[in-house]
Amino acid sequence: MSIYGEYLPALKDVMGRIVEKIESFNAYYQKEYGEPLYEHLNYRIKSEDSMLEKLQRKKLEPTTYNALVTLKDAIGLRIVTTFVDDVFEVVRLIKDLEFVHVVEEKDYISHAKENGYRSYHMIIQVTSPQKDILGHQPGSFYVEIQIRTIAMDSWAALEHQMSYKKDIKNRELISSELKRVADELASCDLSMQTIRDLINRS
Amino acid sequence: MKILLAEDEHDLKRALVAVLTHTGYDVDAVENGAEAVKFASKYAYDCMVLDIMMPVMNGMEALSKIREAGDRTPVIFLTAKAEVEDRINGLDAGADDYLTKPFAIGELIARIKSLTRRQETYTPKVLEAGNVTLDINEQEIKCENAVRLGVKEAKLMEYFMLNKGKMLSTDMIFNHVWKDDDDASIDLVYVYVSYLNSKLNAIGSSVMIEGEEGAQYHLVKR
Repeated sequence: MSIYGEYLPALKDVMGRIVEKIESFNAYYQKEYGEPLYEHLNYRIKSEDSMLEKLQRKKLEPTTYNALVTLKDAIGLRIVTTFVDDVFEVVRLIKDLEFVHVVEEKDYISHAKENGYRSYHMIIQVTSPQKDILGHQPGSFYVEIQIRTIAMDSWAALEHQMSYKKDIKNRELISSELKRVADELASCDLSMQTIRDLINRS
Repeated sequence: MKILLAEDEHDLKRALVAVLTHTGYDVDAVENGAEAVKFASKYAYDCMVLDIMMPVMNGMEALSKIREAGDRTPVIFLTAKAEVEDRINGLDAGADDYLTKPFAIGELIARIKSLTRRQETYTPKVLEAGNVTLDINEQEIKCENAVRLGVKEAKLMEYFMLNKGKMLSTDMIFNHVWKDDDDASIDLVYVYVSYLNSKLNAIGSSVMIEGEEGAQYHLVKR
């Protein structure tokens, strides 16, 4: 029996709907402005194992309700853009979708985390024809979305590697170097955005 | 390079302006300490030359006021030969060097060159404007967020922060920041101002650089 109970098909359907919308934005930008809105888009339904592990880590009962409602990242999307302004453009477009309600937003770009992490996080509620676990129909399902630039994404990959390595020599030094690089990358992102604006102005 | 000269002896002033201008400096010449304070609060200079004995406000008092306002521009003062006391007081008040009258103008120029060359070592390591701090060694600007700046960006930011509220012309900025780059284009000034503004914005800064492309810029509260 899946941790997602009978709702796995609904999750897949919801994910498909939001992904299709975002892909259509990209196609529109490509056609209208000659460049895509984002560089790539990844999506997944959290695997059974990861979900069970996370429930356990958060000291939650392994119930379908907890997997779908208490935790809100059963469906996850990551959108990676080339330029920093496009992150905020993607955010705006998602907010404007009529079947989307924003539950939570964290702007770690304007307010980077202590370690240098930058990304825009949203948790949204998507209305869908299927019945949800609370018995509502049309039902609603949570989706976690992370939006960031290529530079922020590469940095996060590197930071992830470090956080999962148990015995690193000089962890403190590596952390402070990671923070420095995060601030340098942020600076480069902004320089690239500025150059892009200068090019578009002329 | 721009120099503020305060000297009340008319002939000496005229001679100094002529020679300094001929050497390639841009000179603002005033006649007393009060005017020197006024000019220093309004315009940015690479070096100031102040006579001690002047009417209205003497050079010592002017120097104290200039330093009180947070201005760290190198200052050379001119003093009469006998007055050891003046030299001590002047250096204590924040002057960087002195010359006793009469002096050879070649020596004055050499001292100006020497001081402006070493200017970096006199400026403090951390500057503040509004809620922003610039760490000069780390080339880092910080308030809610931090970002690392490139070499020229940091130098430009430092120049704006040392001259808060003063109008800085594109020419002055270019001559200050890109003085060692023979093939740099003056159009870089606007590009770098744009970089800094986007970075100031991204860290949640309360100050920004205002001005028209190719004209004058200054650091202002948002």
